Amino acid sequence: MTADEPKKEAESTVDKKEKEEDPGPPPIPPLEAAARRLDRLLGGDAKTIHSYTNPAKVIRRWLGTASGAASDATMEKISSAAASLLNPEGACAEGGGLLTVDEKMMDIDDEKPKFLTAASEREVEVWLLTLKIRIYWKENNFSEAFKLSQKTIDIVSKHIDTATRNVTNASRPTTSSLFPLLARLYRYRSLVADSNPQMAMSLRGDMIKSHSLASLRRDVDSQATLLNLMMHDLLNVSQVEQAQKLLANSTFPDSASNNQFCRYLYHSGRIQSLRLEYTSAFSNLSQCLRKAPNNTGLGFRITAQRLLVVVQLLMGEIPDRHIFLVPSMRAELAPYMAITQAVRRGDLSVFAAAVSEHAARLQADATYTLISRLAHQVVKAGLRKLHVSYSRISLQDVADRLGLPSATSAEFVVAKAVRDGVLDATIYHEEGYVRSHDLVDVYATQEPATAFHRRIAYCLTTHNDAVRGMRYPPDAYKKQLESSRGNRKNRGDDKTDEEKAQELEDELEDEY
Amino acid sequence: MNDTKALLNELQKSVQVRDVQRGTEILSKIKIAILQGSSSSEQLAIGASALELGVLLAVVAGDLNAFARNMAQLRPSYSRGVQSERKCHVLGLNLMFLLVENRLSEFHAELELLSEKEATNVFISFPIQLERQLMVGSYDEVLSAHSRIPDTSYDFFMENLLETVRDSIADCVEVSYKEMKIEDAMKMMKFDSPQRLLGYVEESRDDWIIEGKSICFQPAISGSKASDIPSMKLIDQSLTYATEMERII
Repeated sequence: MTADEPKKEAESTVDKKEKEEDPGPPPIPPLEAAARRLDRLLGGDAKTIHSYTNPAKVIRRWLGTASGAASDATMEKISSAAASLLNPEGACAEGGGLLTVDEKMMDIDDEKPKFLTAASEREVEVWLLTLKIRIYWKENNFSEAFKLSQKTIDIVSKHIDTATRNVTNASRPTTSSLFPLLARLYRYRSLVADSNPQMAMSLRGDMIKSHSLASLRRDVDSQATLLNLMMHDLLNVSQVEQAQKLLANSTFPDSASNNQFCRYLYHSGRIQSLRLEYTSAFSNLSQCLRKAPNNTGLGFRITAQRLLVVVQLLMGEIPDRHIFLVPSMRAELAPYMAITQAVRRGDLSVFAAAVSEHAARLQADATYTLISRLAHQVVKAGLRKLHVSYSRISLQDVADRLGLPSATSAEFVVAKAVRDGVLDATIYHEEGYVRSHDLVDVYATQEPATAFHRRIAYCLTTHNDAVRGMRYPPDAYKKQLESSRGNRKNRGDDKTDEEKAQELEDELEDEY
Repeated sequence: MNDTKALLNELQKSVQVRDVQRGTEILSKIKIAILQGSSSSEQLAIGASALELGVLLAVVAGDLNAFARNMAQLRPSYSRGVQSERKCHVLGLNLMFLLVENRLSEFHAELELLSEKEATNVFISFPIQLERQLMVGSYDEVLSAHSRIPDTSYDFFMENLLETVRDSIADCVEVSYKEMKIEDAMKMMKFDSPQRLLGYVEESRDDWIIEGKSICFQPAISGSKASDIPSMKLIDQSLTYATEMERII
């Protein structure tokens, strides 16, 4: 992935810098190094600040490279970095105050501390605050983390408001650089609130307001993050109808990051599976699994895979065995494998036993209600097996095989299955048996066409997505054009493409 | 406050006596009183009880619209955490209502909201089991469930359900049997007498031929007609393929 290479580059430059400076002044701590890098990137050292067309993109890339420094930050490192980077009299006084802990201040070096310029100080301030929140969360200090995150969000909103009002040469013309950090803040805040349902309830109204603000400001990151957070929140309290309404009334921004899109697909898949729309749930969840990153997020992938297995069972397909045997997911998916085997056997009593055995686990996974809908599928699978293997079978035997209470209920069940098109048979009531008809040739029906259509549709969507996702470096086509122009110069022909097209048109007209 | 409590007691009495008109009058008075009064938790509890009694009243009156309205008004009170003894009863009735109207996705969404303890309550487990039996197709258990209903207020929904179930059984029987004796058909569809069965056949099932003591079901004519081929769908698919291929090339 593109974020990985600059990250390795950044770490090697940090190392090199430390090696260079070892004999000299002490090495710059990694947090400071990352912050100063951002300062350079955003052009803080230049005489005039040139504005990037998309500072948000710069910030996103920088966040990826700085995550190495961020992962082993501690409170002291953060406060020392804040003390040396943020001007206490500048625009970031509030944030700086929150960051520096009033311990015994270290002796100030002889040189004056070099504060960050206006180009990047707000971003660095917010970034350091997010690191602090993360540390609080890891220590399970939820109330502190929550308070700090609320304050930080207020600070950021104030920055954005002041920046949009005073657009001068000295300040940043656009404020979109703060947006990725804002999205991160929302995410941390909800993470913290997850631990406490009261907190979560108080956030709901606020999230909706922030979402509309974000859509107005064209803040794609916050919009996508907030949408996902709201759905996650509603699903946690099982408000399926409300989540469905949120899904129907909102649009997911196209240019959001891949990870957010992944989460969005997972949530919509979950909502659809709870509302019995299994085919769309299946396609959403399989797309989600495909887009999920391969090297991280194992927990997310396991959850999505579990849900996918259950949805497949509910649609009547039996998932393949090799899905369950992937080494990293094997232990987690073991109860689901047991249930799949019970469904395959088609025996209701075995299925009920398997479900009750793993009931606690299923409740924790929030798939218990979905699994309990599977009784119907068990019966269908069992009937299909009997239908294929017997040309004539007594109703009492059917009842025994399927674990049904009596022959009369078996009769009704078979009758319903015949009406649903699961099997093609006739019941002889007085003699008490079922006789199945000959199997119909599958190729004479619509089945192959629908199967092909599904696969073709999938290939075409993948192709379109790939085309949309490709990015060419902006100068490549110029190089090509110049080389071809160079050739033409040698031949003494200086026309551009448009002129050639015009000539062709004239020729065609002449021919008429 | 005190007069709302008095009104509530009156409402309860009229529900027990099944006096619909008086009950609806009192209910509207209570609703107005709640709107004007403060929104303390006690008021909320009284409001919730009043709405629950309204729900029961609607069942007695057979008024499905009033039932749906009162349920919708009750919903926010429950999500705010108002507890009451009649909660499971009312939720069970709501589940029955959704089942009878065949709104299965809402039925399952409601199930999600129930806690485990509530799900084992007999008022609620009854509709859940019913739904499972309907899906699986063991209609005989559905028909015999009539003897197991937890409360008389479920009667109203059970009758509607029986009608739907009978139609489904008739459909199934039509497709899966070649012929059937009249007594057996009576047992399967839970009719009390052959006359009722014959009456049912006459009014809705024209293609069943009655020969003496058995009913003969005409096999479906399975010739291949032009309308069998889903031509619109195929055209649609082929056109999408063509456009996509054009884009690639």
